Amino acid sequence: MKRTKSLAVVAAFAMVTLAACGGDGGDGNTEPSGTETFIDPEAGFGKIADAEGPAPEPEGATAGGTITVLIPSDPGPEDLDPTNGWSVLGNSIQQALTNRSLTQFRRNAEGSMELVPDLATDLGRPNEDFTEWTFTIKDNVRWENGDPVTPEEIKYGVERSFDSETFTSGPGQVYSVSNFDCGEGYTGPQDGDCPGITIDGQDITFKMQQAFPDMDFWSTFMAIGPIPLENSDFPEYGRDPLATGPYMIEEFRVNESLTLVKNPEWDPASDPARHQYADKWIFKFDQDQEKTDQILLSDTPESQTTVSNGLGATNVQDLQAALGDNYIQQTGQCVSYRTPDYTKITDINIRKAIAWGYDFKNIQLAGGNIPGLTRIPASAIMPPGMSGRKAYFPDGEQFEYNPEKAKQYLADAGEEGYKLTFIYDDSDPETKAAAEQEKKGYEQAGFTVEMIPYQDDAYALWDDKDSPINKKLNLRAVNWCSDWPSASTMIPPLIETGQPYNTSYFSEQEVDDRIKEIATLPLEDQAAAWGDLDELIGTKYLPMIPTAYRNDLFGAGSKIGGFSGDAAMSAIYYKDLFVKP
Amino acid sequence: MFAYIIKRLLSGVIVVILVSMAVFALFWYGPSSPARPICLAETGNRCTPDRLENYEEQLGYNNNIVDEYGNYAKGIFTGREMPIGNVVIDCDRPCLGFSHRSRALVWDELVERLPATISVAVGGAFLYLALGIPIGVAAARRRGTLGDKLLVSSFLFLSSVPYYLFALLAWLYFTLIWQVPILGSSGYTPITDNPAEWFKGMLLPWLCLGIFGCTQYTRYTRGAMVETLSEDYIRTAKAKGLPPSTVVYRHGLRSALVPVVTVFGIDLGVLLAGTIFTERIFEIQGIGRWGLSAVQAFDLPVVSATALFGAILIVISNLIVDVIYSVLDPRVRLS
Amino acid sequence: MSTPTMGSETLGHLSEEALPGDEAPATKRQVSGKSPLRIAAGRLRQDKVAMVCLTIVVIFGLIAIFAGTIAGWFNVTTTPGNPAEDLNYLNGGMPYKGPPNGSFDPDHPFGIAPKTATDNLATWLYGCRTSMMIATSATILASLLGIVLGLVAGFVGGIVDKIISFVTDLFLTLPFLLMALVIAPILSERFALKPDTYKQMQLLSLIVILAGFGWMGVARLVRGEVLSLREREFILSSQVIGMSTPRIMFKELLPNLVAPIVVAISLMLPAFIAAEAGLAYLGVGITQGSSWGQTILQASSYFEHYPLYLWEPLLGIVVLVLALNLLGDAIRDAVDPKTRR
Repeated sequence: MKRTKSLAVVAAFAMVTLAACGGDGGDGNTEPSGTETFIDPEAGFGKIADAEGPAPEPEGATAGGTITVLIPSDPGPEDLDPTNGWSVLGNSIQQALTNRSLTQFRRNAEGSMELVPDLATDLGRPNEDFTEWTFTIKDNVRWENGDPVTPEEIKYGVERSFDSETFTSGPGQVYSVSNFDCGEGYTGPQDGDCPGITIDGQDITFKMQQAFPDMDFWSTFMAIGPIPLENSDFPEYGRDPLATGPYMIEEFRVNESLTLVKNPEWDPASDPARHQYADKWIFKFDQDQEKTDQILLSDTPESQTTVSNGLGATNVQDLQAALGDNYIQQTGQCVSYRTPDYTKITDINIRKAIAWGYDFKNIQLAGGNIPGLTRIPASAIMPPGMSGRKAYFPDGEQFEYNPEKAKQYLADAGEEGYKLTFIYDDSDPETKAAAEQEKKGYEQAGFTVEMIPYQDDAYALWDDKDSPINKKLNLRAVNWCSDWPSASTMIPPLIETGQPYNTSYFSEQEVDDRIKEIATLPLEDQAAAWGDLDELIGTKYLPMIPTAYRNDLFGAGSKIGGFSGDAAMSAIYYKDLFVKP
Repeated sequence: MFAYIIKRLLSGVIVVILVSMAVFALFWYGPSSPARPICLAETGNRCTPDRLENYEEQLGYNNNIVDEYGNYAKGIFTGREMPIGNVVIDCDRPCLGFSHRSRALVWDELVERLPATISVAVGGAFLYLALGIPIGVAAARRRGTLGDKLLVSSFLFLSSVPYYLFALLAWLYFTLIWQVPILGSSGYTPITDNPAEWFKGMLLPWLCLGIFGCTQYTRYTRGAMVETLSEDYIRTAKAKGLPPSTVVYRHGLRSALVPVVTVFGIDLGVLLAGTIFTERIFEIQGIGRWGLSAVQAFDLPVVSATALFGAILIVISNLIVDVIYSVLDPRVRLS
Repeated sequence: MSTPTMGSETLGHLSEEALPGDEAPATKRQVSGKSPLRIAAGRLRQDKVAMVCLTIVVIFGLIAIFAGTIAGWFNVTTTPGNPAEDLNYLNGGMPYKGPPNGSFDPDHPFGIAPKTATDNLATWLYGCRTSMMIATSATILASLLGIVLGLVAGFVGGIVDKIISFVTDLFLTLPFLLMALVIAPILSERFALKPDTYKQMQLLSLIVILAGFGWMGVARLVRGEVLSLREREFILSSQVIGMSTPRIMFKELLPNLVAPIVVAISLMLPAFIAAEAGLAYLGVGITQGSSWGQTILQASSYFEHYPLYLWEPLLGIVVLVLALNLLGDAIRDAVDPKTRR
């Protein structure tokens, strides 16, 4: 029944993308040269620890007006509780407009993303071995009700993110639990105080279980931002969380709309990145794609102040021509993979045959994507722009559809007519059409294919080892976006033994050991080590076939100014938007 | 007459209760536990059996279905206290439950959305009659001629197009492509905020519903009029030298309206279904759209509430129709 | 919007109302020795519009039955096409050959679909088959259910009548669309694990849903007619000579009900065809194989760039529904001579 949640949407739903940083993303390496152009995410943006408010004004910015944001085919977040926020869409809106955290991303005049302070006065001060981080909280930040934001409230926010029963899907379950040192088995405020977080005046100090050099990135998440000590119980708080940013929630209707109005208590002097130009924001979820495109094309007074969170493939050419500069192709750090079952398909030649039998262009076209524009052929596990990424080809050259080569590999394996079994969502015409193309491709490449229609959540099925359907499958998939541009948010969750999103059930002692080992390496060597591991996995095991790197298309009406993409979030950069007079 | 109404009301109540039970049971014995979708959404697909059980307990889905339905039904009349997680929500009567998805009391949201749906339905229903009856009468007076056939089949043609496509294209053309000023800004504004805006925003949805739905009124009015106009008393009236329009409207239409009213009564209930499409396409945050998204998200309390609402609407409108019936046609005696 | 309950339901009311008037002509016809239906058929043959409509319906019926053969003549199939080669995907995604920008393409007379490059003619032919099959089966099922329940309720009367009438009211009160949305996934989930039967089961579940919410009109109609016939001499006399109840119902009553039932059925068919298309928009319906409703849903975003893609299935539905409705009207006029004057 979940028509609106196709596989792609589900993936974007489950994970936030935070991309690009580190400086050395892909330099010195030649990118795999396909015929398609790939807009590289801004590599090399820095960290500005001393950035101060007010934020630099975008050119021509004026105050006033209402901005309407249409969000096609995504039902939006189920709640707005900051601790639960772990979706590209929800986080990009809330972190830009309503909920502040310790640090944040800012887009500078050159268009690169940079990490700047938010509630803290700087980007945090780590000790020598990154096992302790101290932040000083600004004293001029207030909640929408006028109360000051205190370090105690940030501590409470962090403690709250440990609560696995209440915030099971929150990012804290991964990053808080494995990094902050709150003692064995700590599960949130109901277990009392977290001894690893200490407060001294406006200073708050976090003790880590091990070296955690990425704390400044993790601090951009509203999940470890402040939460009021009183009246902040889930789920009520998730309906109308108190705002610290320039806007506060006027009305939130699940799956329908979110209306934001100006927060009078927000002080521009305390915020180095956000603005308060528009009077009002209206986000409309679960919109019809065609309607959204036509609204943007029509240039009516209302559509001139409308923003679209996704452009349909049908109208891309028209929209590009009509919108001009307000048409954005935004690279994200999201990758789609096909994952052959490592326990069933044990011969790497069959996995290679699948890779060569994957009819990339036809599958993407049938799925409503545009090859070369919104989907780029992939090679390595890590997407371009990620620090330490090594450009390599798992089988010597870029995988492209080549049924003869696939047949050859199948013959090498002695498995002509090998049977592939996978699920597909037949309730969505596009995913269904894409699956049919994929089936056709494999069949022409010498496979036999069985497709099982399945409308429920695919990840839940793939995670359920006892399900009779799952037991039949030998080909699965995963779409993954990194949380920040380090392979530590990419390779371990997809490759390590027993991880829930390791849908190939890959398990090799050598790789597991190496993953553990990299964490102990000196910081400056880690990025390159991840790149090497990526290549080792791809060439030696090929447990997952990277099929596409993903781009998003955004658009805005003619009266929207300051419109740009957020390479850090793979989303629209809401902080600079304004309505032209 | 009074006794009849009481009797009808009683059987209506039983019907409504059965409808709500049926919806409840459908979900209960549906493909998976009604707690599962909530569990999946809340846990980001990490819904382990333990957690599922937890949610089932929280939502009361591990109770006996009879007990739980009893609680639900009792809550409507007395209100109840609902423990959700570690908080207890005070759900005053009439308590239709708590939507875990929107984190709001179902009754509050129902009341909030009611005006929008009523606006759509009443306007649409009015146009059904306002367009359907005159066109039907006009066709009947020209029966057998080319005009008659053109009138009937052109409306039939329009209503053969799937309704959602009809409304979608109407919206696209009037709002975006031709940008007709008065039809160009469809959407719901509460009538209490700004009656003019309310009217402007509702006009296109009304027209769509009205034009699409009036076809069968045209047909039934035409059919009934043709029949009535051939009755003896009409011939007598004509023979008396009364003006044709008086004969048609005074004498003819009155009895021809009887079947039309019947259709109308049933339609008022079916209108709820029509509003599902209308509200979705014209972005009206009413009950139809709410019910649709609730069904898709398996939000049982909301689905139950919309089904209950629809059933009550149908029962009441059928009753009203029967009463009007007896007024229009003295031969009908309510008993 | 087009719920199947509407058309037939209203009929039920209508004829209940028109009962006293119906009797006279019926008796006259019996005297002349011709069955009412034969007289009506004779009238129908005189009606040009009705004959045109009948021809259209028959043609669509033939298309539905011989979809595979016709597709074979044109050498087209519903298998997925080759979009990367046939579509200009970096420039709007329209086909290189054939409509909407090119001229007629003899390989694909109706053009090919955007995104998938599947042949439109094949999709249309099989879509016609699906739509016709769903509507016909649902109509047969709904009218059987309605006739049997209506006959029993009307003839047996008493407590049985009360119960059946109550159930009819109950089903009329259930919000059809909400129920369809709830039931459809439950039914299809049951069979997801058996891909070989999944397609049939999906069809079957849609038919069951449509029929399950479409029988009430016929039941009411039949019950009303039976109530008036029950007291007539020929029924009373067959009771006196000791005929069994089922025999009276099916041998004596049913032939007298044929005319109103034919009318009800002829109006039920178009309602079901339209309902399939409406349900497709809400995600209830046929996803295996093609149906007109599904094609319209996918084509609705091409109303500007590739109107032909949208018009093909749309015209199919509109022409068929229009023809069926007009035919239904004509049959009703033929059966009930009063509306013809």
